[in-house]
Amino acid sequence: MRRTRKRQASRREQRRTATFLQRRTFWHDGQSAMQDTREKLIEFRDLQKIYRVGTELVHALRGVSLTIHQNEYVAIMGPSGSGKSTLMNILGCLDIPTSGSYLLNGTEVSHLSQSALARIRGRQIGFVFQNFELLPRTTALKNVQLPLMYAMLPRRRQRALAALERVGLADRAKHRPNQLSGGQKQRVAIARALAQEPDIILADEPTGNLDSATGNEIMSIFDELYASGQTIIIVTHEPDIAQRCHRIVTLRDGMIASDILSERGRAEAAPEGRPEFAPAVGAGA
Amino acid sequence: MTTAPVQPALTQPIPAGAVSRALAWLPAALEWLGAFFARHWQNVLTALVQIWANKARAILTTLGIIIGVTSTITVVSFVQGFGNYVTDMLRGFGTNMMFVFPWDASDEHHLMLGRVVMNVGDVRACGTRSDKVRRISPLVFNVANIEYGREKLQAVELQGATEQFQPIRKYFVEKGRFFGPMEVEHGAYVCVIGRDIMGLLGADDQIVDDYIYINSLRFKVLGILEEKGEMMGENQDQLVVIPYTTAIKMSPMSQYFLPFIIEATSEADIEECSLEVTRILRERHGLQPGQPNDFRILRQDEFLRDFEKVKIAATASLAGIVGISLIVGGIGVMNIMLVSVTERTREIGLRKSVGARRRDILFQFLTEAVVLASVGGAIGVALGYGICNIASMHPSMVRVDVPIWAVMLGLSFSAGVGILFGIIPAFKAAILHPIDALRYE
Ligand SMILES: Nc1ncnc2c1ncn2[C@@H]1O[C@H](COP(=O)(O)OP(=O)(O)OP(=O)(O)O)[C@@H](O)[C@H]1O
Ligand SMILES: [Mg+2]
Repeated sequence: MRRTRKRQASRREQRRTATFLQRRTFWHDGQSAMQDTREKLIEFRDLQKIYRVGTELVHALRGVSLTIHQNEYVAIMGPSGSGKSTLMNILGCLDIPTSGSYLLNGTEVSHLSQSALARIRGRQIGFVFQNFELLPRTTALKNVQLPLMYAMLPRRRQRALAALERVGLADRAKHRPNQLSGGQKQRVAIARALAQEPDIILADEPTGNLDSATGNEIMSIFDELYASGQTIIIVTHEPDIAQRCHRIVTLRDGMIASDILSERGRAEAAPEGRPEFAPAVGAGA
Repeated sequence: MTTAPVQPALTQPIPAGAVSRALAWLPAALEWLGAFFARHWQNVLTALVQIWANKARAILTTLGIIIGVTSTITVVSFVQGFGNYVTDMLRGFGTNMMFVFPWDASDEHHLMLGRVVMNVGDVRACGTRSDKVRRISPLVFNVANIEYGREKLQAVELQGATEQFQPIRKYFVEKGRFFGPMEVEHGAYVCVIGRDIMGLLGADDQIVDDYIYINSLRFKVLGILEEKGEMMGENQDQLVVIPYTTAIKMSPMSQYFLPFIIEATSEADIEECSLEVTRILRERHGLQPGQPNDFRILRQDEFLRDFEKVKIAATASLAGIVGISLIVGGIGVMNIMLVSVTERTREIGLRKSVGARRRDILFQFLTEAVVLASVGGAIGVALGYGICNIASMHPSMVRVDVPIWAVMLGLSFSAGVGILFGIIPAFKAAILHPIDALRYE
């Protein structure tokens, strides 16, 4: 049990570095017509989410199909109520879709048991919330250790300290949330999401409660994480922030309205452009 | 060279690295075990921290349990204390004792008038024909008036016995001497008096060898019995013992209804002894098979057993009644746990979103309830202990020891109450939907 888990983890690690290298060589050897060889991390097929409020049915997601590969940097945009948070919650295995299929690392998530979902939440996904969601009266270090504890990972203290180091808060390890600024709190939350070395980091409006300067600081952390090979998906209302990502998915009324490369994404991509990043899916809708 | 071939044979089957390979799983297993305990220890710690953060509330919550356990411990200990006191008393008389007395099961006492039911012959027969009898003595019970100088005592307990009275009753003379076989033989007018009688007569040790008047007959005081104290509210030191022969002379009718007391050779022999005595008496009284006994045998050990039963019943019923308050305490714990789950819904949502399984949340909240209840139980045990010790200090109080099983019972019962009443709130927390919990306001 333990060994297979370890093997899985190391395979994930290998895959991540491999795809990172693949991507680099791919973009620079000019063979644009080639299919993207990176592994699919997330695959949504015709995902629907329907809430029932009393007798009324609320269609939060009406048929979303989306594929996200290793080491992508995706922004999800869209007007309020378009289903962004709903999508993120399903991505993060916090919620299950009403219908449709969600493959995470090739595993169909909809059929998993509660404890398997908990395991995925603890090991493969790092979630960053708009309002931080740190445990009050608990030090930053302890907050970061929380997922490590539930994942039963060894060397939790060192890992947590390393994660705090990465977000530049090593000196605030002993501070409690009420002794930290908003930006610092969000950085602790990011460290918490990072600590268990997840496959994806999901952030639902991580800068929504912060001023733009602090928001930029937070985004620099995400940039660094992306540069080190992390897959990141961010929900945001702000176009500036979306432009720092490479791909922008726009939702409208529970459907994907557009799925395009950002300016930065286009700049970093091959000169001919990438076929799978072309503004194709639901662009006309 | 005999050792040369042995050495490679020993080393060959274990190539280098085999042991380390065989034990390769060990560090992983230890790490997993460590993580497992760390995880649950963490759940326990989380629970403790939560309780500590709400100390005042925790105390108020557990007040019911504290009171419940305190009263249970106190009541149980008191019942046990009194019970042990009485049991010790009874044991002091010896558990190899029997008391035989004439008794008609058919409730026809009036028909027995003038009939010899039990006499000295019976007593002698039992004493000589049964080898399980170590000592035997008739006992004549009477009341008498006593005079000494100007002092007069009314209705004093008078017992007629043989010189065996001392060893049988384990009741010894402290001053002077007891009467001997010759005095019993002759029906001498001698007596031995209890400490309190001496006091009531306004006399001191000088009364030994002096004379007192019992029912206007002149008796020489041979000795003073040691102090026995009270037993079950009855003063045992207000007693005058005379030879039974003398007692029979004073009330001649008693020779036909002569009860007697037997000390069997050992506690193990008492069963057989009582059977033998029954056989001898039935034979002497000419009873046919099927006819009921015209006497009864009371055995100290039976009495002790009966008393033991009463003690257990009393302990159980009292503990049960007081234990109901523990249920009330448990409901208090459940109430506060439900509040706590509601208050911390968002926290539960967060824990779930970072990988807590249902059982982690369940364990955390269950631990909180159990710790609350157990701490209450521990405080209750300590208070009960204190009360019992303080009560024991009172001079006229029996020694009250808190039995260790009562402590165990109190602690495990309160922990059980914690589990019983904590499971519902904990379960409620565990099955919360992560997103609903996070969105809770
Ligand atoms: N628990 C729920 N019960 C019922 N309806 C819900 C629930 N959660 C979301 N919805 C509905 O689903 C739709 C999508 O909501 P969602 O929270 O995903 O929007 P959003 O894009 O995140 O909006 P915002 O930008 O304001 O955060 C909304 O119409 C909302 O009313
Ligand atoms: Mg939202």
